[in-house]
Amino acid sequence: MDDRAPADVTADYDIFDPDFVRDPYPTMTEIRESGCPIAHTERWGGSWMPTRYEDVVAIAQEHEIFTSRNILVTPPPPGVFEGPYAGIAAPPISSDPPEHHWHRRTILPTFAPQAVAKYEVVTRALCHELIDRFIGNGQADAAGDYAQRIPVRVIATMLGVPLEMSDEFTSWVRGVLEIGLTDPVVRMENRNNILGFFRAQLDDRKANPREDDLITELMNTRVDGELVPDNYVIGVCNLLLVAGIDTTWSSIGSSLWHLAQHPEHRQQLRDQPEIWPMAVEELLRAYSPVTMARIVDHDYEFQGCPMHAEDRVLLAFPAANRDPRQFQNPDEVILDREHNRHVAFGAGIHRCAGSNLARLELRVALQTWLERIPEFELIDPSDVTWAGGQVRGPRRCMVRFPL
Amino acid sequence: MCSIASPEVFGSDEYGYAVILVAQVPEGSEAATRRAEANCPERAITLIEEG
Repeated sequence: MDDRAPADVTADYDIFDPDFVRDPYPTMTEIRESGCPIAHTERWGGSWMPTRYEDVVAIAQEHEIFTSRNILVTPPPPGVFEGPYAGIAAPPISSDPPEHHWHRRTILPTFAPQAVAKYEVVTRALCHELIDRFIGNGQADAAGDYAQRIPVRVIATMLGVPLEMSDEFTSWVRGVLEIGLTDPVVRMENRNNILGFFRAQLDDRKANPREDDLITELMNTRVDGELVPDNYVIGVCNLLLVAGIDTTWSSIGSSLWHLAQHPEHRQQLRDQPEIWPMAVEELLRAYSPVTMARIVDHDYEFQGCPMHAEDRVLLAFPAANRDPRQFQNPDEVILDREHNRHVAFGAGIHRCAGSNLARLELRVALQTWLERIPEFELIDPSDVTWAGGQVRGPRRCMVRFPL
Repeated sequence: MCSIASPEVFGSDEYGYAVILVAQVPEGSEAATRRAEANCPERAITLIEEG
């Protein structure tokens, strides 16, 4: 056991402990089934972590007490409130009412089911193109060569930014959401990369107007007759890049990791293609990638926990989605699970706005993989590496398949 | 979710919010609509059975 591993996880959990990152579920279960299902830690700036479904959902829905002033799992780095990009956040995920309403309403039509459906063809073509590159090798990194490369290109297509920059976008986003969570310098640097990039994209569109990309559409949005501020547009682009890349890629990666180890599930998907929509939901439940944070508005006692103003609360959606009070056999993947009220996309007013796009990408990425590579397995299960904290998913996942 | 489970009964508006397309669950869609009810993450769906 790692010598950093705490003795009492309900009073000293560590979301960046290597064992927790690799597999957080035993710890989450231990906390959830203890007498103290809302754990607390002083680590990483301090936080509370509810693990029961009912508590996580209640906190997500109580947005007046549990605010979105800060939504990352560690405190913002010093300097974030100064400099040229001070005050640029990630609306609507970082917004509270009343602004939240128009912040969200502006982007929702872009992600409505009928609006995202048009990206199915481009996503499928992209998946085939990626597979073409490695199918002759008999092995591939399902995370790095495949999953990681899909959502970034879809979101870049939507935004109307250069696809050739996809690797840079990925590196910036990982700088904010992975390494940056425990390294303030890296986080600031990559935040500035992202915001500086979009600042330049806005300036370029002002000088050379375009017609049909999402950035242009956002810039032309009027609320109460007034054009929305540039900082709002930059903030939304920031969110779409950050939230649209790491999360979906993690979900695709975890699902492939699962399918590599479960030939019976690959067979089931071949035999019963009608279960695909349910299978996507079940994989989202079982391997929920995202944990969000909330900031407590004022001193408040929640389920016996004396929470103070400015305390951080982690919305541990992965823990909620394995709660046996809500899901039968929660640790088992049942692809055609009938009752699946999972909260992988959150709950309440901040429920993921991009869920329909994420579902589409996950389904198409898995379908295309299974069509081209029906049989595959992990080369070495102990060689799989994971990222965790805010977004959990495999970062290297070598698989082999028959040529 | 509901429009995936039971597209005869649920659709979505231009914002992606769920809308009900029919006043009464059509024959043959009962099971699908029950599934939509059981899977709504916001617990926003309640089916009422009429005698």
